[in-house]
Amino acid sequence: MFNTLQLPSGHITHCGARFVNRFLTPSLFLLVFSALLVLSAGAAHAESVVPNAVPPVGTHDGDDVPQPIEFPHNTHVDVNKINCMYCHTYARRSPVAGIPPTSKCMGCHSVIATDKPRIKKLTEYWENKEPPPWRKVHDVPDYVHFTHEKHLKRFVFDNEGMEVENVSEVCAFCHGDVKNMTVAHKVKPLNMGFCRRCHEANEGPFDCWKCHK
Amino acid sequence: MSLSNILEDWSRYRKDREDGGFHDYEHMWGMAIDLNKCIGCNACSVACYAENNLPVVGREKFSKGQAMHWMRIERYWDEPDLGDDRISEFNQHGANFIPMNCQQCNAATCEPVCPVAATYHTPDGLNAQVYNRCIGSRYCSNNCPYRLRFFNFYSYYEDAWPAPLEMQLNPDLSVRDKGVMEKCTFCVQRIRSVKDKAKMDNRPVADGEAMPACAQTCPTSAIVFGDLLKHYDPDTNAPETKVTKMWRAHQVELGKPRQNKQNPELRGYRVFEGLNTDPCVMFLERVREV
Repeated sequence: MFNTLQLPSGHITHCGARFVNRFLTPSLFLLVFSALLVLSAGAAHAESVVPNAVPPVGTHDGDDVPQPIEFPHNTHVDVNKINCMYCHTYARRSPVAGIPPTSKCMGCHSVIATDKPRIKKLTEYWENKEPPPWRKVHDVPDYVHFTHEKHLKRFVFDNEGMEVENVSEVCAFCHGDVKNMTVAHKVKPLNMGFCRRCHEANEGPFDCWKCHK
Repeated sequence: MSLSNILEDWSRYRKDREDGGFHDYEHMWGMAIDLNKCIGCNACSVACYAENNLPVVGREKFSKGQAMHWMRIERYWDEPDLGDDRISEFNQHGANFIPMNCQQCNAATCEPVCPVAATYHTPDGLNAQVYNRCIGSRYCSNNCPYRLRFFNFYSYYEDAWPAPLEMQLNPDLSVRDKGVMEKCTFCVQRIRSVKDKAKMDNRPVADGEAMPACAQTCPTSAIVFGDLLKHYDPDTNAPETKVTKMWRAHQVELGKPRQNKQNPELRGYRVFEGLNTDPCVMFLERVREV
């Protein structure tokens, strides 16, 4: 039963049952547990830029997901200051954020930067009338119910002092600093402990059936 | 979920039962099933199979008691009337039907026996089953007086939906793994989406908005589903829900383990309420000419 200990910092420690019995006495365990709790609580209450919100902590080095076109998020978000929700328009009204249709790309790129190799590749897809086979980077298991809609309502639209231009900071809670990435890759663990810490800090719902289905 | 959460669940229920009102709950989803209207057509059962990704186990496993129907129609035959003509094996009135799904007991017998707290009570008054936490000890099934919990004895996901049938699976809930207990959830995925929608619009959930698949499909509208906490409120002029109206009309109350059966107009009862499980499903007795 104690083969895998899920510690509150999100690290998974593998240790045998014998080790637990002999060395990890309850008092020691409590000490480690409380120390980690204090640490994580301290990190969780660090001052954040977005008001009325505590971003969850924890990192995870995800593998690079090769995409058909190396989409430069930094050019769009950081240089050209395009709102995340301009392309990921479903985030505010449905469970999934979705990827934009090629027509949305072509709305700008039929006139902008048409000589770049990536845009030429995109135009090729567009003229062949087939969508680029984008691959999903951030995914949660099938037994998890997650809606972007409600999280955006809480942290973007119902968040006092939050300007809609800053929405990328809210997205960065779970998606990492996409602003400075080219192709998006997973930097947050997106596991249950990760969700829990944020729900604890922001007093989100705690019912199992709220998220598990 | 831990021991403290279970204790909180129970103390919340006990406190609200003594106060009379269940005000600490967000909702109290309940049902009223009119057996006068039920024709035993099994449409509710079929709808449940379609909605909740239930595998069809086949005759062999069914006969072993390994059926997976969250909603079942039970048949009860009266004593055959062996009067002058002894030709009829069965009573001329036919069978009595009773649709049985999880009764969502408030004092659920399945909850305290779970060794890993995989089943617990939500603030919606639902008896929840968390599949990821279930270790398949089957204590809950053994402790359920209604026999309405079903166990995945086999890896049904491997062969219950041969291609392309897996395309008809409902993405709103998971396909259960082998060794996991499951049961009727009052279509919690529908309740969840309705609550999300209501919250996005900043309004309370309307009556009839949340509708489980069985109630939706019933051709005679024998199954009525709604929130048992929505009574008529003269201050806000908010109407009471249809299900509350039926419970009140038949003087069935949450937390009342016995019905007064003197008045033949009062047909309401709950199954095995003498066990004090306090179910959320009320049945209206069938009336027939003798």
